[in-house]
Amino acid sequence: MDETPNIRTFVLKPEQEIPFLAGQFVELTVPGFGEAPFTPSSSHFRRETFEMTIMKVGRATGALFSLQPGDVVGARGPFGTPYPLQRFEGKDIYIVGGGVGLAPLRALFLALTHEPDKYGRIFLRYGARTPQDIVYRSLIPEWQKIPKVDLDLSVDVSDEKWMKRVGVVTCLMDDIPCDEKKSIAVVCGPPIMMKFVNQRLVDAGFQAENIYLSMETNMSCGVGQCRHCRLGPYLTCKDGPVLTWAQIKDIENPFV
Amino acid sequence: MSRYLLAKSSVHQWLSKLLARYTVYVPTERDGQTHWHLLDPRDLEETPDRVAPAQRRIRASEPVKSFMFQPRQRVAGFPEPLPLPESAPRLLLGVKNCDLAALRVHDKILGEGEFKDPFYVSLRESTKLVVADCPAPEQSCFCNLLGLTPFAKEGGDAALSVIDGDWIFEVGQTGQELVDTAPELFTRLAGETTETKKRDEERSAAVAALNMTNARPWNPDLPGAIAAKLADDSFWRKHAKTCVECYGCLMGCPTCYCFLLYDQAKEKGLDRTRVWDACYEAAYARVGGGANPRAEFIRRFANRFDCKWNQFKRDHGVYSCTGCGRCFKACMGKIDIRTVLGEL
Ligand SMILES: Cc1cc2nc3c(=O)[nH]c(=O)nc-3n(C[C@H](O)[C@H](O)[C@H](O)COP(=O)(O)OP(=O)(O)OC[C@H]3O[C@@H](n4cnc5c(N)ncnc54)[C@H](O)[C@@H]3O)c2cc1C
Ligand code: SF4
Ligand code: SF4
Ligand code: SF4
Ligand code: FES
Repeated sequence: MDETPNIRTFVLKPEQEIPFLAGQFVELTVPGFGEAPFTPSSSHFRRETFEMTIMKVGRATGALFSLQPGDVVGARGPFGTPYPLQRFEGKDIYIVGGGVGLAPLRALFLALTHEPDKYGRIFLRYGARTPQDIVYRSLIPEWQKIPKVDLDLSVDVSDEKWMKRVGVVTCLMDDIPCDEKKSIAVVCGPPIMMKFVNQRLVDAGFQAENIYLSMETNMSCGVGQCRHCRLGPYLTCKDGPVLTWAQIKDIENPFV
Repeated sequence: MSRYLLAKSSVHQWLSKLLARYTVYVPTERDGQTHWHLLDPRDLEETPDRVAPAQRRIRASEPVKSFMFQPRQRVAGFPEPLPLPESAPRLLLGVKNCDLAALRVHDKILGEGEFKDPFYVSLRESTKLVVADCPAPEQSCFCNLLGLTPFAKEGGDAALSVIDGDWIFEVGQTGQELVDTAPELFTRLAGETTETKKRDEERSAAVAALNMTNARPWNPDLPGAIAAKLADDSFWRKHAKTCVECYGCLMGCPTCYCFLLYDQAKEKGLDRTRVWDACYEAAYARVGGGANPRAEFIRRFANRFDCKWNQFKRDHGVYSCTGCGRCFKACMGKIDIRTVLGEL
């Protein structure tokens, strides 16, 4: 399904179930064009089929967009470390997404709302470039109705029909309606957005070990051998892709 | 551990026996350097003295990883899966201690843990290693700075010292089959002999020579020193000045193990190949869409030092460097890493 002009959600039916958990990723092969890492965006409570929301940016993703329903792709995984949901229990969760970065966050959001009693309130803040660039547009109204969920959106550039906030996503963070000292923050989006959102969270008083950031690095093997994904002392394919601010704050320029 | 003497006059006989059971590689001398050579029965007839002298020289130009972690390896196929690798018995006769240490680095990454690489494991397990002493370390050698000796103290299947043309072996359990290919040619040595005394003298002299060439020890906290310098562009710029980005230092390095997987379409399905990669390559860390955390070469240059002498040491307790000196022997820019590391 087309989410935006260059972002599409693909539904995959694995021959063998891939036992992924929210936050983990899968290496997808587009036959003849290469392999690239993507995070399932659907709930890990349902795995007969799973979804991935993918932005067209280059060779492999470009080829993916020209496939037809029913075409065969390769997948290996799951790889990486899932969100530590146990640590999230009993706490408010403040989720901030930008652009296609909402994809992995959706898997988390669906896992949290599947067992709402375990967690506190769930805040979702999402920013896109324009109203046309918002992913999961048809799902968002449903999400808003879920008890305990508080959702807000912004766009950088609006059109005449846009009723919500205009500005980069940090404009939704002027006042954070949860206890910053105790809550969990989860962020995924383009590097520049992660940098500013993270700064805002730190300034607001979130603890460094409670800020979870999805780090995108170049990956080849996915299993900790090829060393392409190294970020300071971490191999993001094994130790990540989600790392806390406490883990990466001493790394020179982590957001590039 | 048993000790044997193989007399000069029996060496070729033994080698021909070995050839019946193993694919044998030996170092040979060419253009003033040592190179790995696939031993052929004809070598033993035509040039009877080709093998022994090279055993006393330093490591071959080609890194020993090439034998286990091949520069290009088909690792998967679709729809027909690749058959699991099977390798015939091989013998590397004349590995040096720095190369043995380098294999331990590869073992950690490819041979152990949750995702063992079946190609590496198969080639590694089917290969016997005889580690030969280096009685004459060269200017480029600095294994001593990595806490290594120019002879095997442990590991490998057998240790070899060539003394006045005779071959003296220390053989562990796994190396006994090498002696057993022709037991009649070997004399068992008990205790000290004139040969072992001479060997020990040569070994001490080699250690002394290395300590002389590389007299200044490194900063005892090299990892910390690198971490502290990482953002200091002027330091790296000064040392990278003559680099022409040829990647020779990484391809020739026996410990570097970065690789890249790439796919090629076949008529039906695809082949996946693993090739050696180099972190100096501009696109190495580039992500989809073009963002690159190490777009500037200076960052990639520093990254190599961070990787080998800081992160790897912290993660695995050893440096991902064994002092073999291949990187700066290969370097067109004459960048000697001892100078860089020595200034930290
Ligand atoms: C853990 C993780 C999860 C992710 N999840 C998602 C997700 O859910 N949705 C999403 O849209 N994106 C996701 N991404 C990003 C996604 O992986 C990239 O967009 C994708 O890899 C781009 O691939 P491409 O081939 O289309 O891009 P390209 O820009 O063409 O190439 C990407 C990489 O391949 C290399 N490369 C390109 N061409 C060549 C060549 N000819 N030879 C050698 N190397 C080459 C580049 O150096 C670059 O590193 C995720 C990334 C990571 C690390
Ligand atoms: S670095 Fe040491 S072990 Fe390696 S060839 Fe030189 S002397 Fe021998
Ligand atoms: S970095 Fe240089 S000296 Fe160290 S193992 Fe590699 S090639 Fe040898
Ligand atoms: S061998 Fe020398 S010139 Fe070539 S990439 Fe390495 S440091 Fe640069
Ligand atoms: S992707 Fe190969 S080590 Fe992480």
